[in-house]
Amino acid sequence: MVLPPELTLFLTSIVAWTALYLIVSLSLNLEFGFTGIPNFGKALTVMGGAYVAGYLPGRIIVQLTGIGGGKDYIAYNAEIVREVNLFLSQNLGYSVMIFAATILLAAGVGAGLGFIAAYPAIRLREEYLAMSLLAMAEVGKVIGYNYKELVGGTLGVQVPDPLASIEQGLLRFTLMSLIIMGFAVAILLYLQRLVKSPLGRSLRAVRDSELAAETLGKDVVRIKMKVLVLSSVLGAVGGALHAFYTGGVIAISYDRVVWTFWPWVMVLMGGMANNIGTALGVLIFVVVRQLIIFYKDTLAPFIPFDVVWLDYLLLGGVLIAILMLRPEGVLPEKPTYPLSKKIIREIRERVRARISSETLEE
Amino acid sequence: MALLPPLYQEALIFSSLLTLLSAGLTLTYLTTRVPNFAHGSFATIGAYVSLTSFRVLQLTPYYLIPLAFVLAGAVALALYKLVLKPLMNRGSSIIFLMIATIAYDMILLSALNIYADYLSEGLKVTSRYFSLKVADIRIGGPTGTPMVFYGSLLSAVAVIVLLYILLTKTRFGVAMRATIENPMLAGVVGINTDLVYTVSWFMAGGLAGLAGVLISLWFIGNPDLGSIILISIFAASIVGGFNNIYGAFLGGYLVGFAEVFGQYLLARNIGAWIVPYRPVIPLIIMVATLLIAPYGLAGVRWRELGRRFRRR
Repeated sequence: MVLPPELTLFLTSIVAWTALYLIVSLSLNLEFGFTGIPNFGKALTVMGGAYVAGYLPGRIIVQLTGIGGGKDYIAYNAEIVREVNLFLSQNLGYSVMIFAATILLAAGVGAGLGFIAAYPAIRLREEYLAMSLLAMAEVGKVIGYNYKELVGGTLGVQVPDPLASIEQGLLRFTLMSLIIMGFAVAILLYLQRLVKSPLGRSLRAVRDSELAAETLGKDVVRIKMKVLVLSSVLGAVGGALHAFYTGGVIAISYDRVVWTFWPWVMVLMGGMANNIGTALGVLIFVVVRQLIIFYKDTLAPFIPFDVVWLDYLLLGGVLIAILMLRPEGVLPEKPTYPLSKKIIREIRERVRARISSETLEE
Repeated sequence: MALLPPLYQEALIFSSLLTLLSAGLTLTYLTTRVPNFAHGSFATIGAYVSLTSFRVLQLTPYYLIPLAFVLAGAVALALYKLVLKPLMNRGSSIIFLMIATIAYDMILLSALNIYADYLSEGLKVTSRYFSLKVADIRIGGPTGTPMVFYGSLLSAVAVIVLLYILLTKTRFGVAMRATIENPMLAGVVGINTDLVYTVSWFMAGGLAGLAGVLISLWFIGNPDLGSIILISIFAASIVGGFNNIYGAFLGGYLVGFAEVFGQYLLARNIGAWIVPYRPVIPLIIMVATLLIAPYGLAGVRWRELGRRFRRR
């Protein structure tokens, strides 16, 4: 089966963006949907992961191989990264190592950021927390944008391509998309297990009534901290994967619209506190957006302004409509049972049998 | 001759405008209990009214201040009436209300960008990163103090005085305070709480529109002007105390002075590279306030604090 290249590219980008946003939205769903922490600074952790991917892998390879001859990594970025990619294309082992190391380090940085975010999160009321986290993310962007050494400031940096050994072009993008989708599916399965576990029920208890959870002996502070660290790790992994996918990092693209507001729209559209719902929300969102981008040139002559703004206008309107008409989303939250359905059925039948035998004896 | 060195002018202008913005933000928070993430964009509306008046209508922007006030006020009122009130009636949580204001901000941001595109494509007017310093009147000759300096100071002082008179000397002001203290009880004694909310939102938007016109006469204007200044507005309101309208004035001047002088002193002592990191200053102020005195300066019980120090 051979698809025309245009269609393949379209499908590939849908797979990649669905996977990337799935990771970020699921982590937001864990914070907001299940635990009730309004993280208005989701962009911060995504940014952290992307900064790691922009800063580290290239420099590590330069250190190990001496590529570039001691030239400044940022000033000669394009040149050095081209040589690094050439090196990676002949050394598959290095490619795999550098990819794994970056993801792990991004996860570490994410954990650190989550820990920082947890500091206000366990002390402040929702509205103050939302304002502080939003401000933190904005400041993170300002630092990345101005501190050139990190990710090249206004110009951005290129990220070495771990798939350099593969023929560049469609095949590379398809493979990268599938790798990211692999991560996303693994995270989805893990979170599905997590929310059905006793910890998952504790999260909902904290969300619904902190006081009640505390009275029942749940350590609310520890639970919130755990959730923020875990979800920030996931966000940062998403950010690093995004950097590898696009092959570059520029601080300005990690703003509060794209990496905070959109994930919120996806979670609320699909259904908060429902991972499958969130996945559905991500899919709807990404497909509609990719269609808008795909038909941008066709649409352009009919509207007298940049199509991007139509996009923003639509999303703002859609979100308000969701909040008013169906705040529970497409797939509302479902009660989860501590045991599997089969065991519950068996227990029910056993109890029924006992009751009926008891009534017979009387 | 200029009255004051430019640095002091800049500090006073910025702080006064911040004051107008944070007073509005605090006012809406006091009534509806939701921090409005779209507040910055109300000011951007004022900036674009100013741009339109000078570049399209060839009028000094000061003439169109009433229009900016009404327009931004109406946009703020629409947020309350069409979005927040229905959501509150549904019993939505504060998180939903906050995300709704962000969604509204998105709509405003795109509307402003579309208008900016229309100005630049249709009317060939520079509508991004524009400066309207030339539009301002200079008092005392061509090198004199710009009018915006007096304008911003005067409006900040006028607003605080008028607010004080409104809240303490008029029947409606007393009704407003009652509604802020306890909306349920105020409703029971026959106060039209919805009217109080309506007036608060309109005033908050109007003040932001006024601030926006004045901002455009001194600072660079762009569609994202409001979303950038939003952090400073939040910091000013938080440091002053989100539960006290007069705190917003204190906070506005504190954050404004800290930003302008802090940036200047750091740049002089450490190096010019530090200049773009200015947004870090309000963040630090905001976080420090929330951790040390979460109810802001107006929430600190000064007398008790003084007594405790004296005892030591």
